Amino acid sequence: MKGVKLHVRVLALALLVIGAGSTAWQIFVLNIPVSSDTTEPVWVIDTKLNFNARDNSPVKVQMYVPPVWSKFITLNESFISKNYGVNTDVVGDNRQATWSARRADGNQQLFYRLMLTKRSNSRFSESEPGPLFQESPELIGVEKVAVEALLKPIREHSADIETFIREAIKLINEPSNDNARLLLGNNYTQDNKSRVLELLLSSAHIPVERVHTLRLVSSVAQVSELWMRSYNGKRWLYFNPETGTQGLPNDRVVWWTGDEPMASVEGGRNLKIEVTANQKTMNSIMLAQSIAERKENKFWALSLYDLPLQSQQTFEIILMIPIGVMLILLLRNVIGLETLGTFTPVLIGLAFRETQVFWGVILFTTITALGLSLRSYLEHLHLQLLSRLSVVLTFVVIVMALISVLGHRLGLDRGLSIALFPMVILTMSIERMSIVWEERGGVHAGKVGIGTLVAASLSHLMMTYEPWSYFVFTFPGMLLVFMSLMLMLGHYRGYRLTELFRFKAMIKGK
Amino acid sequence: MSLFSTWKELRAKGIMGINQRNADYVLRYNQRHLYPLVDDKIKTKERAVHAGIHVPPMYGIIDSDKQISSLSEIVKDHGDFVIKPAQGAGGDGIIVIADQFEGYYRTTSGRLLSHDDIEFHLSGILSGIYSLGGHRDRALIEYRVTPDPIFSAISYEGVPDIRIIVLKGYPLLAMLRLPTRQSGGKANLHQGAIGVGVDLATGITLDGTWLNKFINRHPDTTNPVRGVQLPFWDGFMSLATRCYELTGLGYLGVDMVLDKDRGPLMLELNARPGLNIQIANDAGLAARCRKVEDEIDRLATKGINKPSPAKRQAFCQREFASQCLPDQLGADSAPASENKGISSI
Repeated sequence: MKGVKLHVRVLALALLVIGAGSTAWQIFVLNIPVSSDTTEPVWVIDTKLNFNARDNSPVKVQMYVPPVWSKFITLNESFISKNYGVNTDVVGDNRQATWSARRADGNQQLFYRLMLTKRSNSRFSESEPGPLFQESPELIGVEKVAVEALLKPIREHSADIETFIREAIKLINEPSNDNARLLLGNNYTQDNKSRVLELLLSSAHIPVERVHTLRLVSSVAQVSELWMRSYNGKRWLYFNPETGTQGLPNDRVVWWTGDEPMASVEGGRNLKIEVTANQKTMNSIMLAQSIAERKENKFWALSLYDLPLQSQQTFEIILMIPIGVMLILLLRNVIGLETLGTFTPVLIGLAFRETQVFWGVILFTTITALGLSLRSYLEHLHLQLLSRLSVVLTFVVIVMALISVLGHRLGLDRGLSIALFPMVILTMSIERMSIVWEERGGVHAGKVGIGTLVAASLSHLMMTYEPWSYFVFTFPGMLLVFMSLMLMLGHYRGYRLTELFRFKAMIKGK
Repeated sequence: MSLFSTWKELRAKGIMGINQRNADYVLRYNQRHLYPLVDDKIKTKERAVHAGIHVPPMYGIIDSDKQISSLSEIVKDHGDFVIKPAQGAGGDGIIVIADQFEGYYRTTSGRLLSHDDIEFHLSGILSGIYSLGGHRDRALIEYRVTPDPIFSAISYEGVPDIRIIVLKGYPLLAMLRLPTRQSGGKANLHQGAIGVGVDLATGITLDGTWLNKFINRHPDTTNPVRGVQLPFWDGFMSLATRCYELTGLGYLGVDMVLDKDRGPLMLELNARPGLNIQIANDAGLAARCRKVEDEIDRLATKGINKPSPAKRQAFCQREFASQCLPDQLGADSAPASENKGISSI
């Protein structure tokens, strides 16, 4: 006996550990959200390319698209165009999409839609590629003097690459600095400033690169924002060429690097690019799924979300049954509630899904009451068990049909949902109830009937509680946790709550 | 009183709960394959006769529809008899015939049944109307027990019976079950019969329980149930004790009756006896079980694995004797004059 107890405990513990472990693994490692309500922001960026094609000539449009190494995960990417072939290639650090067509006429429109979400977790991020070697340019004359004059104070004021670049940006943006003015040549555009900065830094043998980013704000017309980045030997450092601030803000997505424009067209002119960004929210679980799909995660393939939608809905119900069963176990063995049959309340509770609790209780009571009166009449006829049950079952079906028809006539569509009441369960409930009635009296039968309805309603409420059904469906490891609890309850030897009242007289007597 | 303190006090008193009974005793000591022995009254009876345990004599068995017509043959020498379904539960399907009269049968309640009525009833029994789970059943025709007149003052109709709970052949608690008007003459506590505790050592009745409450008078006859000396007490005890060897079931409720002419008779056995016997005796089953288990362990260390029934009975009568026996004739309750004639033999 001791051995068995230990056995059960070890088994229960093992199930608990496996169940809870797998759930924890899903939550913390696979980042599966614990609630179906959590949503995460998703960015939808639409890029529209508009140009006029030259008549009867091949057209080739190239556009940079965000690289795979960015801080964001690409959920979905689509290229929409008419009569164009589309390819994406990796060019250096960048990704480039190429649309091509043998022949195009007039105004052409190409669309590129991108759905992005933030990497919720550093483990997802892939390392950014390192820098390419850049040769320092040959400088002559005044420019050479100006550059050297600028570099001197920068060197003095800086300690490392990071501070050097910041100092350089500061100087270039200083309007009073003559050397900087000379280099800029009165052209104070962002583009020119970046060019000068590149010049300056490459003379100091610090490789620097332009980064074109997009700011993620919901707006119609977006323009790419220029940033500079430099490799310090370990990672890329991003700088705002205007303010010198370091570090790319979280709402910037890197689109491409280098000096080239975002898009170029061959065999066409008047290329216009329009970028719009929109924020949407997406259900976390769907998000996690689509990320997993893109990453071809094998573990997801084993989850219930892999089933066809129809089966998913079925299993969402089926997986909740253990919760109802556990409730019955608690109600019966710990509380001491008496019910008809063992799992009858769970099945009735399932039927309540369609009828809702209120109507379910009313319909159940009505049918059982009618069935009981028929049963007591049949009692006089001394029928054999099987034929008696068959008669009661047929009667139950007739009553259900009548209720449906009446309900429909009266405009109560709830009446129709009765069709889903399990007839066999109802019949057996009537049979058991009448046996209880005979053996233990009407009061007791009423008590058992009410107990059954209470248990059925409670189990229905628990089984349809949305967060739980999501949780169990998403983390099937919970079933093992339930199993371990059930095992433990199998060795519960304490009093039932009702027994405390039943035996109360024995204490008061003292 | 808080529930927690109730719990603790019940534990301290050694009261057994249903969960504990099922897990620690029924599941542990009663092997499933032995259940048919107690579920089928015919099998129980055959075994008991073989082992020399007194049971109401069986007049015949009807196990097929063809045999129904042989009923009159079976009962032709017996004026009164009882028809029982072999696997019935809760006393359903039992007909008690007190008298035969011009081809009619008169039940104890005075109703006259024709031969056809009886045959219909028998075919109902055979088809399993009264059996658990609706299996085909057999009907049993047996001796009608006439209760000893000692019970007439404290019972209402029906036959009072005595239940003793036996653990591994050690009687633990005894209870006299008295039918009431509410129970319809049935000696079943669920149906409203009274349970009266009985001192294991002497066979003198203690207080009673009725619907989970303590009582000390019969609700119909208003006579005190306390202080009645049950006759042939040692006979009952030995009967119950020997039922362990009879069935091999370690946790058993033995139901017995006291027949006017034949003395203590074993009626049926129950593999899942109820717990109200604890209230009737104001004593905890778990506490007594523990004592018995200790005794079994103690004997086992001494190499005694099968103590004789007599020794077990003696152990229990010594250990579980009631501390405060009521005075006989119930001097502490009710006018003494009313109790004359019922309280002693």
